[in-house]
Amino acid sequence: MKDLYRIALAGNPNCGKTTIFNALTGTRQHVGNYPGVTVERKCGSCRIGNVNIEIIDLPGIYSLSSSSPEEKVAIRELLKTPIDLVMNVVDAANLQRNLYLSTQLAELGVPMLLVFNMVDDARNRGFVFDLPKFEHYFGAPIVETVGSREEGIDQLKALTAKLLVGEAQKPAIIRYGEHIDQAINSLTTAVKDKQDFATQAIPPRYFAIKLLENDPEICALPAFAPLLPVAAELRERLAVRHGISSATLMADCRYGVIAGACREAITLNNEQRRLVSDSIDKVVTNRYVGLPIFLLIMLFVFAFTFICSEPLVEIVAFLLDRVSALIDSAWPAAALPYFKALVLEGIIGGVGGVLMFIPNILLLFLAIAFLEGTGYMARAAFVMDGFMHKFGLHGKSFIPMLLGFGCTVPAVMATRTIESERDRLTTILILPLMSCGARLPIYSLLIPIFFPLRMQAVTMWIIYIIGASLALGIAAILKATIFKGEDEVFVMELPPYRMPTMKSLLIHMGERAMVYLHKAGTIILGASIVLFFINTFPQKQVFDHDYKALAETIDNSTTMSQEEKSRAQDELVSQHQAEKLNYSLAGRIGKKLAVPMRYAGFDWKASSALIGAFAAKELFVSQLAILHSVGQGEDAAQALRQKLRDSYNPLQAFCLMLFCLISIPCVGTVAVVYKETQSWKITIGQLGGLTTLAYVITTIVYQIGRALNIGLA
Amino acid sequence: MPNDTRTSPPISSSLEDYLEAIAEIIAENDHAHTKDIAEKLHVTMPSVTNALQTLYARDLIVYQPHMPVSLTARGAEQAAVIRHRHVAMKKFFQDVLKLDAQEADEAACRIEHVIGEKVMSRFIVLAKTIANREDCKPLRDFLNQTMPQLCVEDGVDLISLSELPIGRQGVVVHVDENLRALKKFADLGLVRGTLLQMEGHAPFGDLLRVKVMCSSLSLRRKDAAHIWLKQMS
Repeated sequence: MKDLYRIALAGNPNCGKTTIFNALTGTRQHVGNYPGVTVERKCGSCRIGNVNIEIIDLPGIYSLSSSSPEEKVAIRELLKTPIDLVMNVVDAANLQRNLYLSTQLAELGVPMLLVFNMVDDARNRGFVFDLPKFEHYFGAPIVETVGSREEGIDQLKALTAKLLVGEAQKPAIIRYGEHIDQAINSLTTAVKDKQDFATQAIPPRYFAIKLLENDPEICALPAFAPLLPVAAELRERLAVRHGISSATLMADCRYGVIAGACREAITLNNEQRRLVSDSIDKVVTNRYVGLPIFLLIMLFVFAFTFICSEPLVEIVAFLLDRVSALIDSAWPAAALPYFKALVLEGIIGGVGGVLMFIPNILLLFLAIAFLEGTGYMARAAFVMDGFMHKFGLHGKSFIPMLLGFGCTVPAVMATRTIESERDRLTTILILPLMSCGARLPIYSLLIPIFFPLRMQAVTMWIIYIIGASLALGIAAILKATIFKGEDEVFVMELPPYRMPTMKSLLIHMGERAMVYLHKAGTIILGASIVLFFINTFPQKQVFDHDYKALAETIDNSTTMSQEEKSRAQDELVSQHQAEKLNYSLAGRIGKKLAVPMRYAGFDWKASSALIGAFAAKELFVSQLAILHSVGQGEDAAQALRQKLRDSYNPLQAFCLMLFCLISIPCVGTVAVVYKETQSWKITIGQLGGLTTLAYVITTIVYQIGRALNIGLA
Repeated sequence: MPNDTRTSPPISSSLEDYLEAIAEIIAENDHAHTKDIAEKLHVTMPSVTNALQTLYARDLIVYQPHMPVSLTARGAEQAAVIRHRHVAMKKFFQDVLKLDAQEADEAACRIEHVIGEKVMSRFIVLAKTIANREDCKPLRDFLNQTMPQLCVEDGVDLISLSELPIGRQGVVVHVDENLRALKKFADLGLVRGTLLQMEGHAPFGDLLRVKVMCSSLSLRRKDAAHIWLKQMS
């Protein structure tokens, strides 16, 4: 008996594989990434009796033919790691299609266990299975399960342990008819001589079939190069004999063989029920009401994510405040003052920046897991594809774009549902243009100051529309240039509607949050600390005014009322802060920035505030307040409005908003984009590209506005 | 003039039909009456009269009221050319595309007027090459195998998946080789013999939703156009 047995869990997408995986491993799971691709590698461990098992949850695939990143990853995993048992989960309600993969897995020569999942669904459709026939056919034992209700999981565990410890037999060799078998056999003999050490774990017959199929991955192996002409000749001859394309020869044979097996081993009883799924779909994917229903559901997801998370965000903020206050009071002011400031403002601020997103991410991924688990996600993509395709985007791009109106960070994470890499990257690149919730404070500060009441709503609307149209326009341009190429073949399964289990929803949600904390969290924290330094250092030692003395003067004043005193104090504090910030690196950079930014209507204060906005967009407002020497509070807001009205004209205000809309995504976005794309090139490119775009557009708008004398009053 | 047929202005395809019909009737009965021509071409008497006047004006037939029609030397020559084309096309349809005699005849009738001498002669070379050359044997085998499968019994035409009406079913008969990602579609079960049902179209019309085995797949219309079905009632 071995210390650790290794099981590969394989199956079609939507066959309930993850449910089985969760049922077997519980929370003992580990999510990683396969190198070079965005496909996730999921591992879990479980213990049955005294047998220790590691389960590798392969991505859901339809075939072992390397036509998608998932398939490539799965093949490599199967060929590379020694596996004791292949656990093949099949959707019992859709055996024909699911068994297609099984015929290929059987050829790996590794003992196989077939899990007929969702048998309740199959019974509803009136299928009656002759299991011994199927078992004989594949040379693999079968367990029937209903993953969502954990039915049959105990039998599955027991059988798994028995197969692992005992001598499990290899799967049966599947016959494809006289001519094909002859060709396979002759190639098998040839492969036996050529097989090198790297491929020895897999029987030569597997490679023979793959060579006959012209599988690009296997045919590229140098060891088999001499066999390619032979394989090609056999393939062409068989294709001619069967009158079909050589590319689909084996697929045709496999499906033929499965159809035969199913005819023998499946009988239909008369208890076929009308399928609820189909009736729902009649409405949900209807040409006319499908879109409104989709938008309604999206509205619900949006509201759920951003409204329900609000109190949670407040709780997080409240807790952080308390922690910060606690440290502040416990830490004597004299001891290491800079370090104290770093902890209070830099670290706790940074942690806050990280944690603020957590409620959003948890709720969003709960919603997404639900939509995916029920099968609606595929319908949403189906319904939206026509519209999005016009801009070179995928139907599934719509959901992240909509979420972008809430917060870009979870929106970027939501692009994972887009399979095509080019579509995914395009979507990620344009997402910051969807005006997020953190930009709202900027608009709601500036718009009421500079625009007449009847224009306010329209201005806000225009800003949002500009963002969304730019996003779609740039997507179309990106797809026509950088991500050029024939659009990828679109085939998507619309799985029957199912109720996902709470367990799998929670596991999925927790997984996302962990991934976010682990990868993006560290970058956001680091960047926040850097920004803290930029905003604080170098520190000014000699100030223009003696603030301490001034404060005392106010305190001792006899002519001022208490109210006036506190207002004057506040003003003094912000003046002090403004002078500090002015002297700091951020202030200096801001002044340098102001030179080119002048053409876009920015003064140095607005330019410096942009640096703060990089940490989080809503900080633009507070930075602006500090730089205009305005404190916090109700009165201060009034004062800030007055100061802003004096400093800028409506055209400048519009340009400020425009620039904040288009330019630099916040640190959180940058971090999560890097995490999701694994490429600094794309991350930096996005940062630079959007900022340049913002500068160019804002400058054009400002200069035209000035020339035409619009909004200068 | 011997090369008049080439220099004379081309006549319309319906006039070619008339000329061909007249030649055939004369071959059978030695003379052609207006009534026979109308019957053969399923047209009315006045249209025949009309056409005959045009042919007469072009000096292709001898035509006098109340007399049987006969061909002039030029007319006979032109009719022979048309006849030759028809036979060649029919042979192509029969031998290469494996259509039955009647279908080949009808198809030839429709196509013979619209292609020129040059295209025609090349067609004939192609047909003869495929029929006779030794190195074309695998192609002949392939055609022998594939083409008959494309012929559907009961005269039902094949329909591409993109044209299948909503709610209707069809069995895959053939998948074009120029379908992108042929293998991917095959992996999903779109192979010969699979029963498909059209379930619906997405808004804006580009995506189709098709039931394959027990699951629904959505695919683009332009890809679906490469999948040929036999419609089921």
